[in-house]
Amino acid sequence: MFFAGLDIGSTITKVVIKNQKQICATVIKPTGAEHRRLAHKVMEDALAEAGVPFEKIDYIVATGYGRINVPFADHQVTEITCHMRGVNWLFPEVKTIIDIGGQDSKGIKVKNGKLSNFIMNDKCAAGTGRFLEVISDVLGVRLEDIGELSLRSTRPSDISSLCTVFAEQEALLRLSEGTPVEDILAGIHKANASRIYSMVSKINIEKEVAITGGGAKNIGLCKALEEKIGFPAIVPPEPLITGALGAALIAGEEIEKISADELKQRAKERHLEAVTFFDDESNRGRT
Amino acid sequence: MPYVAGLDIGSAISKAVIMQNGAIISAGIRPIEGNFALSAESVLTEALQKAKLTHSDIKRIGACGLGAAFISQPFTKITEISCQSRGVHYLIPTVRTLIEVGNQSSRVIKVSPKGKVADCLVSDKCAAGSGRILQIIAKVLGVTIREMGELSLQATRPAKFTTGCAVFLETEAISRVAEGMAKEDIIAGLHQTLAAKICAMAQRMKVEEDCAMTGGGAVDIGLVKTMEKQIGKNIITPEEPLSTAAIGAALIAAEK
Repeated sequence: MFFAGLDIGSTITKVVIKNQKQICATVIKPTGAEHRRLAHKVMEDALAEAGVPFEKIDYIVATGYGRINVPFADHQVTEITCHMRGVNWLFPEVKTIIDIGGQDSKGIKVKNGKLSNFIMNDKCAAGTGRFLEVISDVLGVRLEDIGELSLRSTRPSDISSLCTVFAEQEALLRLSEGTPVEDILAGIHKANASRIYSMVSKINIEKEVAITGGGAKNIGLCKALEEKIGFPAIVPPEPLITGALGAALIAGEEIEKISADELKQRAKERHLEAVTFFDDESNRGRT
Repeated sequence: MPYVAGLDIGSAISKAVIMQNGAIISAGIRPIEGNFALSAESVLTEALQKAKLTHSDIKRIGACGLGAAFISQPFTKITEISCQSRGVHYLIPTVRTLIEVGNQSSRVIKVSPKGKVADCLVSDKCAAGSGRILQIIAKVLGVTIREMGELSLQATRPAKFTTGCAVFLETEAISRVAEGMAKEDIIAGLHQTLAAKICAMAQRMKVEEDCAMTGGGAVDIGLVKTMEKQIGKNIITPEEPLSTAAIGAALIAAEK
């Protein structure tokens, strides 16, 4: 029996294919304007990696910002639940999850394997991956390099603006004053970390803490967050897939609730195809 | 008779006026272009040349704005809020509520019958409530702020934006362009979003008439009209909405 979790994020699409024992395949692809409509392409890649034909997949759960753009999914679950499940499966000791996505950031509390509370910012680019993208762009440094680079800073510069647009301007000003890029980046990470920290603090940060999402790939941001929290955090080996993993885990449970006949029927009706509609505005409203 | 200069060195634009005996002799407006000192110098020179004067004719300089510290001549530093209040009072004495939409901030200023600041609220934490967002979207659409105003008035179905954040709004605007939405509707949607933000602030203080708008945002007639609708009051804009603080700076400096 195979089941799959698809996490269509605002920036990155992730797929996890699992069986009852283990993860069979994980695929991570950018969510281009194309991929938002073409979730089936990413799914095909994952199927190829797992060496499993589509017909063998018994249940598919979609999550993330673009979850309703997956016509072949059996079920949609919010990314908060999926992240919680994914992290809980990897690290049962985690009580607080900080997820830093491409266009939002979330704080999630876990209690006895269940979601107990959450907080989310998707209204403002500060505290999200988007903030980091904007800054790396203006400083001319690759997004994947800004974390490492910031660790070389000896005197982090003060970035007083929380707003991405104003922080961008501040970073440019510092650059024109001759401040080294690593010091600006360290300041930027501090500013971003304090924004995320103050949000997550509202739901009471408890040990252990895990950091997930694209932001977790940024060592500079993770260190700045750890400094704020006051103790080390856990970062999964692949922090991007926790949502898709959680979706796959939920898919695995859903199978057990369904009779063999219905599973067969569902498999017949399921087609690996592109979404036929695309309405970003109405998608955002449905959370 | 002595000449007085007023300078407002803002985050995006430098403004200068030269006054004599309470009358405006000349004015200048220059973009900052990354150098406050240079921009301050050139905007004053522009105003001096228009008035056929030299630096030595100026008895006093009053200055306000983020970049005022970079002015090379000796000057009296005055707050932007006092300058705005005084400047708008000079131009339109009946104004009691002034809404200034600048590049980095928006302000709502209650003006006393004598032109003094009676009360004030400032939004400068986030680009969402400032004129900055107008520039960001103008760039996306390839139009000027002035053109945006005209286009906005022609909208038939204003876009509905789900976010106020300038960064996310830019993305949404690009998506709307990609979907083939008319520029007019995107701009009108932006004006509604921005006006809602500023109005929420304005309504925290009682908006008393007459109500005026200044700053770069007042150049955008679409924003002004949307604000009028949302506030439910008539809004007056000075002929040159960028110069009010510079006028106020000159007037206050002349009295010192």
